Amino acid sequence: MSSFADPIVDGARRARPVRPRRAPVSRLGLILMAPALLLLTLFFFLPVALTGVFAFTDLSTSTGIGRGDYVVTPTLLRQLGDKGLSDTDAEAVARSSVTVDAAGLARARAAGVDDRFLDEIERRFMGRDYEAPAGFVRDLRGLRTAPRRPRDLKSAAALFETSVLNQRFATSQALAAQLEAMAPEIAPAVRARIVEASFTGARFTTENFRTLATQKETARLVGNTFLYVGATLSLFNVGLGLFLAVVLFYMPKGASSLFSTLWLLPRITPVVLYAVMWKWFTWEGGFLPILADQVGLPSFNYMKGSVVTAWATMITLNGFIGASFGLILFSGALRAIPLQQLWASEVDGASRWQQVRRIILPQMRWPILFVTAYQTLSLLSSYEQIWLTTNGGPGRTTSVWALEAFKTALSNYTGNLEYGMGAAMALVLVVVGLALSLIYLRLFKFSELVGRPKIEI
Amino acid sequence: MTLHVKTAALAALLGSVALGAAAEDYTITVWSGGTGDTSTYRIDAIKLAAEQMMRQAEIRGDDLSITVEGQAWSGWDDFKQAFTLASEAENAPDIGVSGHEDIGPWSEAGLIRPIEDYVYFDTWPLNTIYPNLIETATFNDRVWGVPQDAEARVMFWSIPALEAIGWSQDEIESLAQRVESGDFTLYDMLDTVKTMQDEGVIEPGMGFGPRVSNGPDYWQFYQSFGGEMSDPETGKLVVDTGALEGMYGFFADAVEKGVVSNTHLGTEWDVWHQNAAAGNYGTWHGGTWHKAQWQNQFGLADFFGDVQYTLIPAGTEDGRANSITHPLVYLLSATSTEDESVIAAELIAMASAPDINALHAVKSAHLGISKDETRVPFYAADEWLSAASSRLAPHTNAIPNNSDFGTFWTAMYQGLEASWTGASTPEEAAQTVADTVKQSLGDDVVLR
Amino acid sequence: MTRNFALFPLMVVITLISLPLMVMYGFLILDTVTDAPPGALWPDEFTLRHWRFLWDMSAAGNVWKATLNTAVLALSMVAVVVPVSSLAGYAIARLNLPYRRFFLGGILVMHAFPAVTLLIGVFFVLKFAGLYNTMIGVILVKGALMLPFGIWIMKGFYDAVPWEIEMAGVQDGASRLTVFRRLILPQVKPGLVALSVFAFLDGWGEYLLPRVLAPGSDMTVMSVLLNGLIAGDDIGYDFNLFKAVGVFYTLPVIALFAIFQNRLMTIFGGGTKG
Repeated sequence: MSSFADPIVDGARRARPVRPRRAPVSRLGLILMAPALLLLTLFFFLPVALTGVFAFTDLSTSTGIGRGDYVVTPTLLRQLGDKGLSDTDAEAVARSSVTVDAAGLARARAAGVDDRFLDEIERRFMGRDYEAPAGFVRDLRGLRTAPRRPRDLKSAAALFETSVLNQRFATSQALAAQLEAMAPEIAPAVRARIVEASFTGARFTTENFRTLATQKETARLVGNTFLYVGATLSLFNVGLGLFLAVVLFYMPKGASSLFSTLWLLPRITPVVLYAVMWKWFTWEGGFLPILADQVGLPSFNYMKGSVVTAWATMITLNGFIGASFGLILFSGALRAIPLQQLWASEVDGASRWQQVRRIILPQMRWPILFVTAYQTLSLLSSYEQIWLTTNGGPGRTTSVWALEAFKTALSNYTGNLEYGMGAAMALVLVVVGLALSLIYLRLFKFSELVGRPKIEI
Repeated sequence: MTLHVKTAALAALLGSVALGAAAEDYTITVWSGGTGDTSTYRIDAIKLAAEQMMRQAEIRGDDLSITVEGQAWSGWDDFKQAFTLASEAENAPDIGVSGHEDIGPWSEAGLIRPIEDYVYFDTWPLNTIYPNLIETATFNDRVWGVPQDAEARVMFWSIPALEAIGWSQDEIESLAQRVESGDFTLYDMLDTVKTMQDEGVIEPGMGFGPRVSNGPDYWQFYQSFGGEMSDPETGKLVVDTGALEGMYGFFADAVEKGVVSNTHLGTEWDVWHQNAAAGNYGTWHGGTWHKAQWQNQFGLADFFGDVQYTLIPAGTEDGRANSITHPLVYLLSATSTEDESVIAAELIAMASAPDINALHAVKSAHLGISKDETRVPFYAADEWLSAASSRLAPHTNAIPNNSDFGTFWTAMYQGLEASWTGASTPEEAAQTVADTVKQSLGDDVVLR
Repeated sequence: MTRNFALFPLMVVITLISLPLMVMYGFLILDTVTDAPPGALWPDEFTLRHWRFLWDMSAAGNVWKATLNTAVLALSMVAVVVPVSSLAGYAIARLNLPYRRFFLGGILVMHAFPAVTLLIGVFFVLKFAGLYNTMIGVILVKGALMLPFGIWIMKGFYDAVPWEIEMAGVQDGASRLTVFRRLILPQVKPGLVALSVFAFLDGWGEYLLPRVLAPGSDMTVMSVLLNGLIAGDDIGYDFNLFKAVGVFYTLPVIALFAIFQNRLMTIFGGGTKG
């Protein structure tokens, strides 16, 4: 993307009277762009940026998205124990006690606990200590004025209790303060370590990329993705698209438009229905298996029953959607060939094949390149059709990168949504996509597409 | 002593809930995963409880009106995704019905509230629930949910096929004991179904019909080969490479023998159900609740005449015959208001009454949650439930509640897929699982 | 068109290649009104049983409500995409914007790069905007994802409008905005129509975004409803019912396509689907 070396624009500029080269920025233009920019920023650029950030975190179901509390759990204490936290310290942290004293009653009164209930607590249990909250709750339930609802009673009881275990603190300071008040004997350094480890939210890490770089699965996924994109593209989007375009070019108008409509159907059919049709076509009890059975060929669920047929199904069903893209583009390019040129060749006695090879195909170089470029990107990041049909099966043999990213982050059986890892996988696609786009922009002479405005008001 | 945090939070809720006399109007939403036509009582039970609670309020003189709105998902991935994302976006339902293993990650992320703060577990009906079920709803010493059902997972055997290869009535009947004692192993099972195929009793490749998708079921085979999912002492996850290798090897051998296809995983459920109900498989494994589906939707007429049922056999001497129970639990969303959670929790408690829960148990062929439930005549009259309760339930265990278990599970299943389809050898697959889990969980996992 | 070559072999070849599609679409229609015995290819009886879902809500759920939701989504897509794209397309085609090359390049890149892989980031934005599990959220996201395509298409149409029209208007003293409204917009009407149809079709067929971003049952659209029918594991596969629901769902698409076919063909090449 170097300079504005566009002859059309230059010509137009020369024809006009002299005016300043740097025209004022159009305010109207900015206003007209504003809604688009707002939407694109919110739902395009921001998600891309967030994906970039999330990719470097361990964000998952258990960390939650964009938040985190400080909680000391028995599990955490056990883990810290493995890392050298002493048993006495662990016990001190896990300590929990209930004391019925004036301060507790005041807190309860302030929190709005029923006065008659508090009076009875004061009368009956003042000064008592309980080892565990359960005993206190049991005692409270014996009171005549005890609230009917368990939640009310337990909330009131909790106001007399001192413990940190299993309580969620919004800030590290709050947890540290509570720990200090409750177990002052724990050394500050140890306390800091406990607080640090108790954070439940996501942490920054480059672990996702290390995992992607080292696990064997990556190579398989990349291989699958190449196979999928390469085969779909060459066989269907370009191959079949070109073939259809050329054949339809030679056919009478009626038949030609009939077939091009037929081939457009997969593109406009809602994807869910399209998936249903393919299931009916390939599953046991469906069209192909019944047909195969009648002519004595192996009959089974072709979509999921063997690796080879699963691949064939997946590539074909995606290719049928993609073929129309090539068909339309190539047809347009074909119509641009001067008919005289074709007639002349026929007069010279060229066969159809010679005509196609010598005249038509050379004209198709750029359209082919364009379809390849454009559809590589689309195929790389499309997974909806695969998800709804083979779903990467049998046994993940037909899974591709984009599908796996989606499943990792958002859709898997165990509900273990690894947003961070999924974002890392998506980021890889973003980077690949951007790189390819930049190359294509150069390839297709971006400057020609960017004519400069001719009235600068 | 600083208790300000807690005090502030509690002050707000006490202020509002205490006003019991005013008119109260609640809409309680329930989302339930893995719920099909036979298991609608996961939601309907809450509706029944609401009906009852409103009547009680009326008698007490309170003006209480509750509307229960339910949404059922037939699958798990979309339900878990929806519940998780909705919780993150703070518009989750008040009650979620999910597998107990979700308690780990969801409680850690703060998506759910511990139900023990809202109900008394020592009063009826919660005090009648089996302690081992309460155990599955416990994590970090707190009880987070109320078990909604229980089950056992089962190895089913085709009686006509066993008879056709010359098994006597006695042999068929004693199979359950032989499996339980470990005399009859998984490999004996493979030999048996291979014989069925060789003698033309069962179609080739149909001898063994395992579950077609991921599920807790596959952990049973890990246990059959001596694997332990977590260390009972420390609660740490245990990756037993030997057991994984054994289990992966078993399925690879099954493929090798030709009793199951290498692309079996990912078969349609519908096809599996049809084959199971029609007796096309020699043996197959599933859950107690599948019987209801086969009878109601797939035309299986004489279950007890056609199907023998046992624990999942042991794989080696180290392993044991076993069965996994996978209780679903009612959970309280942390994004509800306190008032809604209070009502929701009490509805859950009331819905756990033996007679209400029995509706779900019998309709869906799940096991009951309490001893009292087995005495509900409606439940006791169900031959299958009492049979499964006595033969299978005592030997069941659950998968661990551990927020990292999902990582192990996903890796385990991927290894299974890889070795089943032949993409890796059992040894490689097991090693990959160990490496993957070790890499992401570090010291929190024990390798054996 | 040259007519010097034999037509027959071509006809045979293209029919053979198109056979799978013909079979799939042929049986799609046929199967909704017939029944075939198990294991047979050809139906042997006529029935309207598969259409019972239109009045019997237990067969496939509430299709009417889902249709209404789908229409809301599709029409809202038109309402978002068409005005926003036609404004931005004009600005980018005809006005002097700062970083114009950058915008154009960016739009080309985005156009080719479906952002569905960025769902987590999108969810995060919706979560903060309070729009998760709302139809509005789905519409905004879906609309935004279609904008690069819309802007690009509209820019193409504006580019084809002769500069003289605009110059004449400006020289008569009209403001740029007036020129745009009075003179330019009527010139790109075909573009507006085509883009509207596209936006409608895109919204009508959408599955992923409603499924992930608005799973609540109030907002079920037809695509989600149809897929839910298939995904349920405890009903037998009733492909004829699925197809009947599918045909019902697709009727508006076919109708629109039939009406606007020629106009759509010209710009279909710009579509982003694989």
